[in-house]
Amino acid sequence: MRWPNLSLSVPDAPPAPIHALRSLAVFAEAPSDEHTRIGAALGFDVVPSPAQYSDIFLFQLYPYGSVYLGPEGMMGGIARERIAGFWHAVGLTPPPEPDHLTGLLGLYASLVERAGRPDEAAGSLGGVEAVGGSEDAESVLADQAARALLDEHLAPWVFHWLDRVKELTSGTYATWASLLRDVLDDAYRGAATHSSDLQHLRDAPPLPDPREDGTAEFIKGLLAPVRSGFILTRADLGEIARALDLGLRAGERRYALEHLLAQDPERTLAALAAEARRQADLHEARASWLGESALFFAARARTTAVLCDELREMEPS
Amino acid sequence: MTNDELNRRVSAARDEVEARGETFYPGASRVHLAAFPPRERWNDWVELDSKAWPKRVEKRFMLVPTTCFNCESACGLLAYVDRDTLQVRKFEGNPEHPGSRGRNCAKGPATINQITDPDRILYPLKRAGARGEGKWEQVSWDEALDDIAGRIRACLKEERHEQVMYHVGRPGEDGYTTRMLAAWGVDGHNSHTNVCSSGARAGHHWWMGMDRPSPDHANANVILLVSSHLETGHYFNPHAQRIIEGKKNGAKLIVLDTRLSNTATHADHWLSPYPGSEPAIFLAVANWMIQEGRYDREFVRRWWNWKDYMEVVEGEENASFERFEEVLAGLYDTYTFDFAAAESGIDASTLEQVAELISTAGTSLSTYNWRSAGSGNLGGWQVARTMMLLNALLGSIATEGGTFPNSWNKFTPKPPRLPHQHPTRWNDVLWPDEYPLALMEMSFLMPQLMKDQDAFVDVYFTRVYNPVWTNPDGFSWIEMLTDETRIGQHIAMTPTWNETAYFADYVLPMGHSSERHDLTSYEQYDGQWIGFRQPVLRAARERLGEEISDTRDVNPGEVWEENEFWIELTWRVDPDGSLGIRQFFESIEKPGEKMTVDEYYGWIFENSVPGLPHAAAAEGVTPLEYMRRYGAFEVAHKVGQVHEQVVPDSELDDVRVDESGRVYTRTPVPPSPRASGGTKIDPDPDGRRRVGVRVDGEILKGWPTPTGKLEFWSRTLHEWGWPELATPTYVKSHVHRQNLDSDQMPLLTTFRVPVQIHTRSANAKWLDEIAHTNPLWIHSEDASRIGIAKTGELVRVETEIGHFVLKAWITEGIRPGVVACSHHMGRWKPEGHRGQRIGMMTVALDQNGSEWGLTRKEGGGPFESSDPDTLRVWWTDVGVHQNLTHPVHPDPISGMHCWHQAVRIRLAEPGDTFGDVWVDTAKSRAVYEKWLEMTRSASKYSPDGTRRPWWMLRPVRPERAAYALAEPESVGA
Repeated sequence: MRWPNLSLSVPDAPPAPIHALRSLAVFAEAPSDEHTRIGAALGFDVVPSPAQYSDIFLFQLYPYGSVYLGPEGMMGGIARERIAGFWHAVGLTPPPEPDHLTGLLGLYASLVERAGRPDEAAGSLGGVEAVGGSEDAESVLADQAARALLDEHLAPWVFHWLDRVKELTSGTYATWASLLRDVLDDAYRGAATHSSDLQHLRDAPPLPDPREDGTAEFIKGLLAPVRSGFILTRADLGEIARALDLGLRAGERRYALEHLLAQDPERTLAALAAEARRQADLHEARASWLGESALFFAARARTTAVLCDELREMEPS
Repeated sequence: MTNDELNRRVSAARDEVEARGETFYPGASRVHLAAFPPRERWNDWVELDSKAWPKRVEKRFMLVPTTCFNCESACGLLAYVDRDTLQVRKFEGNPEHPGSRGRNCAKGPATINQITDPDRILYPLKRAGARGEGKWEQVSWDEALDDIAGRIRACLKEERHEQVMYHVGRPGEDGYTTRMLAAWGVDGHNSHTNVCSSGARAGHHWWMGMDRPSPDHANANVILLVSSHLETGHYFNPHAQRIIEGKKNGAKLIVLDTRLSNTATHADHWLSPYPGSEPAIFLAVANWMIQEGRYDREFVRRWWNWKDYMEVVEGEENASFERFEEVLAGLYDTYTFDFAAAESGIDASTLEQVAELISTAGTSLSTYNWRSAGSGNLGGWQVARTMMLLNALLGSIATEGGTFPNSWNKFTPKPPRLPHQHPTRWNDVLWPDEYPLALMEMSFLMPQLMKDQDAFVDVYFTRVYNPVWTNPDGFSWIEMLTDETRIGQHIAMTPTWNETAYFADYVLPMGHSSERHDLTSYEQYDGQWIGFRQPVLRAARERLGEEISDTRDVNPGEVWEENEFWIELTWRVDPDGSLGIRQFFESIEKPGEKMTVDEYYGWIFENSVPGLPHAAAAEGVTPLEYMRRYGAFEVAHKVGQVHEQVVPDSELDDVRVDESGRVYTRTPVPPSPRASGGTKIDPDPDGRRRVGVRVDGEILKGWPTPTGKLEFWSRTLHEWGWPELATPTYVKSHVHRQNLDSDQMPLLTTFRVPVQIHTRSANAKWLDEIAHTNPLWIHSEDASRIGIAKTGELVRVETEIGHFVLKAWITEGIRPGVVACSHHMGRWKPEGHRGQRIGMMTVALDQNGSEWGLTRKEGGGPFESSDPDTLRVWWTDVGVHQNLTHPVHPDPISGMHCWHQAVRIRLAEPGDTFGDVWVDTAKSRAVYEKWLEMTRSASKYSPDGTRRPWWMLRPVRPERAAYALAEPESVGA
């Protein structure tokens, strides 16, 4: 029995960047055999190894929306439930990880595709009845859903997250982050209007003040980007430890940060304030086109920096 | 590179890959919400070994498709064959299967339990003591084959064809065995259908000449179910996913179920009718639609056989359609909502709301009834007939979102060497004189009919069939099976022990779904597909370059598949070809040698499945290789309204149109790749075959009914003694209130539990853990009245012929005044017998004349075996076998056993223990005779001297001459 082989030619492409999005989305998953041919199509010379994948996505920058939009700063919780609700709203059963970047990009591509092919969209948008039931109306609904997904569940975190991927990696994943950022950037800037009053951000509690809520809550808040305004990775903690010549305890980020603060609270708080300000600058640089969410995170990051400075000044030298 | 260029580049790569039938994106990926390995990687698929966790140990698999053999749905499975050990590690869904689309219910993956069941039968067994004594010796297949073949050969040579009988439970295949029986020339095909679906089949058959519905739920506006198809039932998985699709698209769901089933919980309207009143509800809805003019007049005018009705019943020749409408309005005007409310116990206002909703469906009303009320009640066939009346009023038949006839959504390909002969003798045990219109064989009456006719069956096969447990009145079956003056030799062909196999002479181990070849096709949407069941280890080893010609070489022990068994048996029945049988099992490629299974299916796939050779060629493989690789093929999609198709001019030679508009032609039937079957319509007096009907001046294909139209009125019923039931109407059930004593209640027994399948799944540990008992559903009001204090209390349920003892389950989820108990569970093995330990209790059987008792000696529970999980069995309650206490209730028309029982519920008496059963078979005989009085026999009512209308369906059709009734003996002879 003969099994198929691969070959390549170049026919016309559809107008929307659906395939580029889907292919880029695949790279937020563990490498598999398909990555080779998809990577070739994307122009990657090398496919990342499982170790590179693990380092960036399992240890540094988790590709889950709930980590960056939820008050716990962890996978799951209310942010994931909101995203799952969106899947329901468009008539789909949420997958087990509805907030994984690959799933969100796949869903976004599907909605864009539906908007471009209303005959396939008919009746599929969660029982939402289009006015008059026309194909045009179905198309409009799909387009609205795609924009809502991008505005509410992707844009508030994904641009900053991709920039951080670029900072922490080199090679294929850095190229990948640039390409994906460009595609999403185009998609976002291409929309005439954007949602305001983003629910993930509106309901986000502020960073706890250790003087009132205790150190443990403060540390948890620092690691929740929607509260602290910045993404603090293992690599960032390692860099702080190296710069300050402190020991980095092996363990989860909270444990490591707790021990950095215990070893040298003043300089650790100063380093945290500096990193918060640096990331606030990154957020502000996007504010001109990203708007509300960039300003929100920038403000949170600057508040974090101010609080760290206050705490540092309180500490005995 | 710009984003557009990037997109173009990726799109090109994707198109190129997908043009080759491969998957571009990772199959088990989030990006397409896909959960399946891409099919081009099925030959070498890598997964992490879950048992090695947290280590990342890679396991390599061959994914080999097959078809589930548990229920009738025939869903696609993918067997994960470990490339290192060549063992099946698990089963998941086959995404290439058009019916199930990669999804499965729990029973599919649980196939792994069945093939690794430590108690399964692995070798041919022959009884070593008296029949039913429980002593067995292992024998070779050769010994069994020679013995059985010798008996069959003697029957055929001595013109005792009627003494060979094949009694089938789950067919699980299309056409193989009926072809074989036709080759043998025996009218010996006996099915289980009259304890299963004949009621609903008959209702559809009288309308369409086709006996199954094929609802297009996914595209419906309104879905009307007399079933629980979101959790169980025929085609449960393929239908449930499409019902949910329909609901997501905005369809409204109406469920008629006396119980609050899981399906009812998803309904927009749950109606809990008094059992048997369903036709009254449908007729009230129909009447309202007729009175309000909310029906499709054009469809009714074009496609109903209303002219025949007006002429014969109303005596009005040349009546106008408007006149028929007047008559129609009067015909049903007594079926008001108030009448239906009184019968069903459901408010008239609720019924009117439902009628309003149904009337809005247009041509997108999908309906379904299979078992449920259709198989529970006297006259239950009117459930489907009155439900289809709603489709027929709305014109929602064979429309998008409507209900199709099965034959248009099913494809049974023509096999090679199709026997040309038909059995020459009529078998009265299958179709006795009293039941000429029974849709299928009167199989469950066999013990009674054998006595009535003083009959003897020399070779009796029970094949994946367990009448002792499944059928009503099982003790009468034991009496028959142990009587060697009735049954000469009983061969139980079964993958697993069952209650009937204990009373066999041979127990022959047959394969489960991954251990056998079969070809299936079922009506599950508006399309046609075939599914291929195959021995997956054989296919896997063939991929590795081995040649396997005997499936026993790869199956566990000496488990065999049936196709090879039947070929071998047939050659031994007719070793030299002198009986004229062997020719049908000879190779075409190598004359004089046995046809192999590869040749049989290879021929079918090459010659009888349109499109398959082309699809296979596109991948550079043979059609057989294609089916071995993917397991399924869609033959057609969107078949549509066949009845509206214009008959081509090429088929219209020397045409004659009769006064009813039926069109006859001299043109022979064009060659077709499909197996012949279905109804048989007589030619005109000059020998022209019927080719269609004339409707509004066009010659259209029409329906395979005697009139070529949808038969609102059945001339057959009218002429064969049932004129009062010839139109859709309401027959009061045997459990109608007026037929019960004041202390009796209806007992519903027809419902399944979601994870079990009749007699075949007790050997699946996962399924048994989920569902292993069958308590009595009883409403709190009834429990209080009877004095049942709490759930779990023992109660005695008294039927007409005995009683059984079980635990009560007090619930609000059933109509007050009605009780229910699932027919699943209550599996048993007699003390001292081998048998299934998981899922079966051990019982003592006691007989005193016609009185029988069954007492539970030991329940389920943990035991030591080759599977460590059996030590973890935490339950001992495996339910009660209630069917033993049911007398037979044969519907006089459809032949369906009417399952509902009139019972009395009492608190258990001193000495009663859980699982007790007591029955007097003399009483069951009396009940049989009482129901027999309702029949109208062929010898008395046949209008043409035949035993049965020629046109009606029969699985193995005897030759025409065999239909003639025997000449009555002259007086004094």
